[in-house]
Amino acid sequence: MRLDLVEKRFGERRILGPMKLSASRGERIALLGPSGIGKSTLLRILTGLDRDFRGTREGDERLAPVFQEPVLLPWRNALANIVIPTGCAEAEARQWMERTGLTGHEGKFPRQMSLGQQRRLALARAFAAAPDILLMDEPFASLDAETAARMVALTDALLTRSGAGLVIVTHDPAEARALRARSLKLAGSPAQLQKD
Amino acid sequence: MPQPRPPRSAVLPGLLSILAMLALWSLASQLTERPQTLPAPWEVLGRIGDLAASGELWFNSGMTLMRVASSFALAMAVGLVIGLVMGRSRRVDDWLNPGLIILLNIPALVVIVLCYIWIGLNETAAILAVALNKIPVVAVMIREGARALRPDLDEMARAFHMTTFNRLRHVVLPQLAPQIAGAARAGISLIWKIVLVVEFLGRSNGVGFKIHLLFSSFDVEGVLAWALAFVGVMLAIDLGILRPWERRANRWRQDAP
Repeated sequence: MRLDLVEKRFGERRILGPMKLSASRGERIALLGPSGIGKSTLLRILTGLDRDFRGTREGDERLAPVFQEPVLLPWRNALANIVIPTGCAEAEARQWMERTGLTGHEGKFPRQMSLGQQRRLALARAFAAAPDILLMDEPFASLDAETAARMVALTDALLTRSGAGLVIVTHDPAEARALRARSLKLAGSPAQLQKD
Repeated sequence: MPQPRPPRSAVLPGLLSILAMLALWSLASQLTERPQTLPAPWEVLGRIGDLAASGELWFNSGMTLMRVASSFALAMAVGLVIGLVMGRSRRVDDWLNPGLIILLNIPALVVIVLCYIWIGLNETAAILAVALNKIPVVAVMIREGARALRPDLDEMARAFHMTTFNRLRHVVLPQLAPQIAGAARAGISLIWKIVLVVEFLGRSNGVGFKIHLLFSSFDVEGVLAWALAFVGVMLAIDLGILRPWERRANRWRQDAP
């Protein structure tokens, strides 16, 4: 997947300046930078959720997002929350729930699960979509340190297992190192990429 | 989230208030000088029994119920689509809103009369007239819900390339469930009242037609018998179908499994 960005504006304000970014299966990239710099905006462009920018985005890789919040369907149970968005087989969804340590929670509604469990469910959902590249937006924010560390280790293991690539937005360089991701820093106004 | 109240506190006062009304009715019927203007409750009940025994009650209630169900389904389906589109698109809302306000304010009777004149004294006109009265009400309620749809779920659905049908079924409609339930509850009671007017004016069967005949002979007992019998049917539908469906649809709101 290749992005050749000229600029991204919100009204009159230029948020992102010219940059080239490519990602592929097996490759891990971390987008670092202070809050408000435009990391999430860049990720939304990569995900294809924001098409209102100047530049080109190409590639036919399968993408799967993990958002800042779990973003689950509250009215469907955990298993259906994997099967419905991804269209994967039920048996496969069960396997992903097992790999994320959610066995036994299949019939629960999101409200009946802890935040940590909901995040693991969001992770299982993303992997069940069989992505070439996983796109994560601060997925470990608002978790306590211990849970976050476990989530990072789990994500690392699942990425290795599935061979998927990763683009992760984070403000924490330690997270990028733990995931063995190449760090790219966003800085300046409008923001541009700088090699770390 | 409003918690369901314990049943005893809800049922007992309700029962007592109905008993009080019956007592008042009985008293008034005994005090009146002309019993035919206000027959006693037991006389009306006896009349309902006669109607049920002769089979007349079932046939005419069935016809009315068929009209209620058809126009209800039509009004909900069309109102849902219009409300959804208006809630999602500012432009469509600007175009359709004046029409909606006009429709909301046209008296039911005018719509009914015009439908009968333009389409003819037939079933299509009857059902359409009732539905037309109800569609704007449904559309307005659904529009409010559609304006408040969660953008994060919409993005999730787009990012996972969910099909339009799946999005509608699993993402959009569940969010509109409170508005749909509200529109259905408010709709069903409004619709059966309008159906009676439609039958009164231009049908040859149904509860409204029967009341028309009884009106010509000033038969209050008969009017009350038909009306109460059908109120009973509608209450049964509310308790037996609408409420259980609402409970089921709200299961996911509970914290404990």
